Amino acid sequence: MTARVEELFRNPSGILGEGNTGDDIAISSRIRLARNPAQRMFPVRESEAGRREFCEEVAAAAPEFGVLGGSEALVFDTEQMEKLDREVLLERYLASREFISHPQGTLLLVRPDELCSLMVNEGDALRIQSLRPGFQLDEAWKEASALDDELGHAFEYAFDEKLGFLTASPTDVGTGMRASVMLHLPGLVLTGQIASAVAAVNKLNIAVRGLFGEGSDNLGNMYQVSNQSTLGESEKQIIDRLGAVVSQFMERELNTRKVLMERDQHSMLDVIGRSYGVLRHSHRLSSEEALKCLSGVRLGVDMRLFKSLDIARVNRMFLAIAPAHLQKRAGRELDSADRDVCRAAFCREQLNPDAV
Amino acid sequence: MLCDNCKRNEATIIIKEIHNGKAESINLCAECARLKEQQGELGSFGFNLAEVLFDLGKLTKALKPDAKTPEVEVPHEVAQAVCPHCGWSAEDLRKHEGQLGCPECYRTFAPLVEGAVARIQRGLVHLGKRPAGGGPDGAVAMRLELERLQRELNDLIKREEYEAAAVDRDRIAALKRELEAAEAAEKERK
Repeated sequence: MTARVEELFRNPSGILGEGNTGDDIAISSRIRLARNPAQRMFPVRESEAGRREFCEEVAAAAPEFGVLGGSEALVFDTEQMEKLDREVLLERYLASREFISHPQGTLLLVRPDELCSLMVNEGDALRIQSLRPGFQLDEAWKEASALDDELGHAFEYAFDEKLGFLTASPTDVGTGMRASVMLHLPGLVLTGQIASAVAAVNKLNIAVRGLFGEGSDNLGNMYQVSNQSTLGESEKQIIDRLGAVVSQFMERELNTRKVLMERDQHSMLDVIGRSYGVLRHSHRLSSEEALKCLSGVRLGVDMRLFKSLDIARVNRMFLAIAPAHLQKRAGRELDSADRDVCRAAFCREQLNPDAV
Repeated sequence: MLCDNCKRNEATIIIKEIHNGKAESINLCAECARLKEQQGELGSFGFNLAEVLFDLGKLTKALKPDAKTPEVEVPHEVAQAVCPHCGWSAEDLRKHEGQLGCPECYRTFAPLVEGAVARIQRGLVHLGKRPAGGGPDGAVAMRLELERLQRELNDLIKREEYEAAAVDRDRIAALKRELEAAEAAEKERK
């Protein structure tokens, strides 16, 4: 029996709330831990039957994992799910693209608030995830580590004194930890500073990726900053180093916005106003344009330019305009052109002054 | 065009970087490019792990355009190795972007893994948490790493590479603090 994605729609996802820094440049923080049982082969080598067997072991032990909500945990039998429903999991950051593209012999456990989850048989047998709104890596780490301890009691991990936790790929070996923060950086993009900032940070073994689109064609001005190295430093050292870089990005973005408002106020307000106008009045809205405009509106909300529009609504819109969510909302499959119409209708409705 | 670094050989590799929004390019000969790559001065280009494992980076290919069988880079016994536990071969490793078959593969393909780890990770020893109930987090490894860093620091000072030495000095200080904290926490538990 698999849980249904509709159960996720009952309450808004925990990461869509307001951040903790007050300026909303940091949208969300995530910790991912890769673990493997000592007695099994890695998922890439394991047979489909072997992978299913492990899924059953995890599902049977699930009620013991208090951090995942114990018996409240939603257990998704990803293999049995419709493709569209799997896409919903991806859009809600609960599963990776890799995971939903190869669903044979996989399982996903999600705590009802969606802040903590466990992918079974992605690249590694166990991938723990803890999410938080805003810039809260320490809190996310504490929770991921607590779930890690619970799982460690249920399964004996593949662990080496020198190399640490053994993972399918040596890029994850050691702590098995990927820490990341999603940042909204329209100021750095508008002023053309982003490329040099990214290049500087790359030298510190920290990766910066555009969230939507590739490289410089980044849509929505969203960037994910994460550690590349997983061995040779403790989790705390990695998180502190990453945190220092994130703080610098946030500071530079804030300063840039200030300077822009002082020197070129009209251009800045024009970007925000046009973004709002498009979302409020258009009847066909592509994913690209919607992301671009939501970024502009988000900037306006950050700068307190809207009276009643809040960041939580903008966050909900970011999620709701994604293709699978639009189709679930419409209750049927939509082709690209239909989606653009539905997306525009949804945005108009959300920004209607009576609704806001 | 001569190499910007040694100003002796013909430059065959051009590297473009963006600094403060301005594109800059440097022209290097094969020799200098290889040296710079070894010293990690070429920044972090996206890499394919399999290529790193087999030391077949894009650069290596550019440096040896006539090498027909890149496998020559891999020691024969490793190229032929098959994991006794799961049957994974070096060829499987290559096909699956550097993924290993099972925990035992770390031993089977140790020379490849060590080379890759040295290139992509910041250190060689795990300093983080241990499995639940597995003793204090990384105290043993921390001492090993401290010794290694201290040796490296002495070397760097001898070679008068003070910038790199300063990085090591800071890491040693941070590690010492962490080791003390771990030992204090362990005492408290007892």
